Amino acid sequence: METLLSVKDLKTYFTTRDGIVKAVDGVSFDLHPSETLGVVGESGSGKSVTAMSIMRLIQGPQGKIEAGSITFRDQDVLAMDEEEVRHLRGDRIAMIFQDPMTSLNPVFRVGDQIAESLIIHKGMNKKESFARAIELLELVGIPKPESRAKDYPHQFSGGMRQRAMIAMALACDPDILIADEPTTALDVTIQAQILELMMELQRRTGSAIIMITHDLGVVADMADRVLVMYAGRPVEFGTADEVFYKPQHPYTWGLLDSLPRHDIDEKGNLCPIQGQPPSLINVPTGCAFNPRCPYAKDRCRTEVPQIRDIEGKHGAACHFAGDVDFFRGCAGVTS
Amino acid sequence: MLKYILRRILQMIPVFIGVTILLFILKAPGILPGDPIRMITGEKEISPVLYQTLIEENGLDKPLVQQYFIYLGKLTHGDLGKSYQKDRPVTELFANTYPNTIKLAFAAIVVEILIGVGAGIISAIKQYSFWDVLVTLSTSILVSVPVFWLGMVLQVIFGIEMKKWTGGAFFLPISGMSGDQFPAWVHLILPAVTLASVSTAYAARIMRSQLLEVMGQDYIRTATAKGLRHRSVVFKHALKNALIPVVTFIGLDLGAMMSGAILTETIFNWPGVGLEIYLAIGQRDWPIVIGGVIIVVFAVMIINLLVDISYAFLDPRIRYGGAAE
Ligand SMILES: Nc1ncnc2c1ncn2[C@@H]1O[C@H](COP(=O)(O)OP(=O)(O)OP(=O)(O)O)[C@@H](O)[C@H]1O
Ligand code: SF4
Ligand SMILES: [Mg+2]
Repeated sequence: METLLSVKDLKTYFTTRDGIVKAVDGVSFDLHPSETLGVVGESGSGKSVTAMSIMRLIQGPQGKIEAGSITFRDQDVLAMDEEEVRHLRGDRIAMIFQDPMTSLNPVFRVGDQIAESLIIHKGMNKKESFARAIELLELVGIPKPESRAKDYPHQFSGGMRQRAMIAMALACDPDILIADEPTTALDVTIQAQILELMMELQRRTGSAIIMITHDLGVVADMADRVLVMYAGRPVEFGTADEVFYKPQHPYTWGLLDSLPRHDIDEKGNLCPIQGQPPSLINVPTGCAFNPRCPYAKDRCRTEVPQIRDIEGKHGAACHFAGDVDFFRGCAGVTS
Repeated sequence: MLKYILRRILQMIPVFIGVTILLFILKAPGILPGDPIRMITGEKEISPVLYQTLIEENGLDKPLVQQYFIYLGKLTHGDLGKSYQKDRPVTELFANTYPNTIKLAFAAIVVEILIGVGAGIISAIKQYSFWDVLVTLSTSILVSVPVFWLGMVLQVIFGIEMKKWTGGAFFLPISGMSGDQFPAWVHLILPAVTLASVSTAYAARIMRSQLLEVMGQDYIRTATAKGLRHRSVVFKHALKNALIPVVTFIGLDLGAMMSGAILTETIFNWPGVGLEIYLAIGQRDWPIVIGGVIIVVFAVMIINLLVDISYAFLDPRIRYGGAAE
């Protein structure tokens, strides 16, 4: 299959007063045209930093992409100069941020903010781009788009602002839409509407979506494939069905257990995740999850688990991934 | 908006009444020592008859309350009375001096905008650079320099020493508003710089901190993610937000300068209203003092109103009169 975006062994670190924060430490994944990749993990697992790295939005000098490669349609994104990156941003890869209340500029009209991308990337003039902005607002379900385009962000509700952000992101018909927790700041009924809208628009435009969330429930319905992250590292990936119905990593089990129960077959040994995410300055040696893992053995504290391939469609970074007997033997630990 | 403006104008009336009452209380016997009539004639002895004539001529024989109402009555016709000393209508005197104050104030505002706002922007976009350190340091010194001292130092450097070093080829005028040697605007330079000094430093600091704060906002990240040039991100998206508090500050300062700048006007012998009122107080020339303060209060209120209106244009979240939802 053609690969649209390929991220290999990405490492993005921040230098802080307390030490080096390894926010992203060896993330790899591929993204194919028109597919939806769900990126899941607890707060602080490096999801946003991964997204920002792809957009080259990491702010120096504290933040730096230390290693790895990002390839978009055979172009080396990390080798691009500022001007080339500009043509990528907003045009080929667009991004929606978590908090719609603060992501729109308060002193410009919503329509103008949407039109701006069209002016810079598509060479439209003010009038054409504003007319197109109105169409886009209509597309994302804003009522009375002609007059709403002339409103300022403070006149929009949270859900409407996120719709406007989506309109802005889709303005140039990007190949990839990165949505960084697009619904976290919204209330539940609006969340469902926004997700529905994104799926609907994806069917029409054929953009690939990277859906970042800490909520597995969100990606369960949307994603084709899922990447689970922990402490800046990928711990499990595979098709959505594989990851949901045959999760192999103890961390993923924990995430699934904090979900309202789906029709997941009862393994009997699912357990909620105890404890706090680790410090990214002093990541635990061996498996980063070991202090919280109910199955941890001595080996887990010394040896970093490599990704183990499970039946060729699925990978998990656990020494015992795929070893059903091992986990059965430990079942008592969790109850 | 129109309603708001009208309301603000109506609010000025009680302020005027309050101000005039306060000023008339100052005039009451026993509040401030000094007899205005004796000030007119100076040391010279005058006959009781002439004294009485002058008192009556200036309306000082009537009770204070009656004087007040006579004054208000004239005021509604735009008549601010006549100076005791100069024997000319107060309106005519201020028609001569007020333009000088306005000229100086606007020149100072230009300095604040060009140097203050400019330095603040450079300082913020080149944070921690040599220029940033220079701006941060010099502004923290400038805010604590007394204005009269700065004025005199500038006079010595640019007016006197410079003239010596260059053999008279280059220097700046240090006194008055015009002369044969220079076009009038050159006379403005040193007084404007002196008057603007402290506010320029504040404007630079406010501009810098605001721009830095705005650059960290989410909507700036959105603008960058859209593919805008860094230049557009800073000068379009960030600057308009960061300017809002700066405009407020400069606007208030302009309002304050409408009351004249006694120190600067004195040092540079600049015939503005500050100096005029100040001298009139010393001479108990009440018509000038009262009329001058009324004009000043009026001008300050008008400027503040204009600033509030322009503020609404910069910041759409503010719409006066409760029209916005
Ligand atoms: N500019 C920065 N300077 C220092 N540390 C940073 C910076 N940006 C992110 N980090 C750190 O990187 C780690 C990963 O952050 P990231 O924002 O990617 O998490 P996330 O998975 O998106 O979490 P959330 O669900 O809370 O959004 C965090 O520990 C965070 O503190
Ligand atoms: S490697 Fe060990 S600690 Fe890590 S998830 Fe697997 S069992 Fe748990
Ligand atoms: Mg995040």
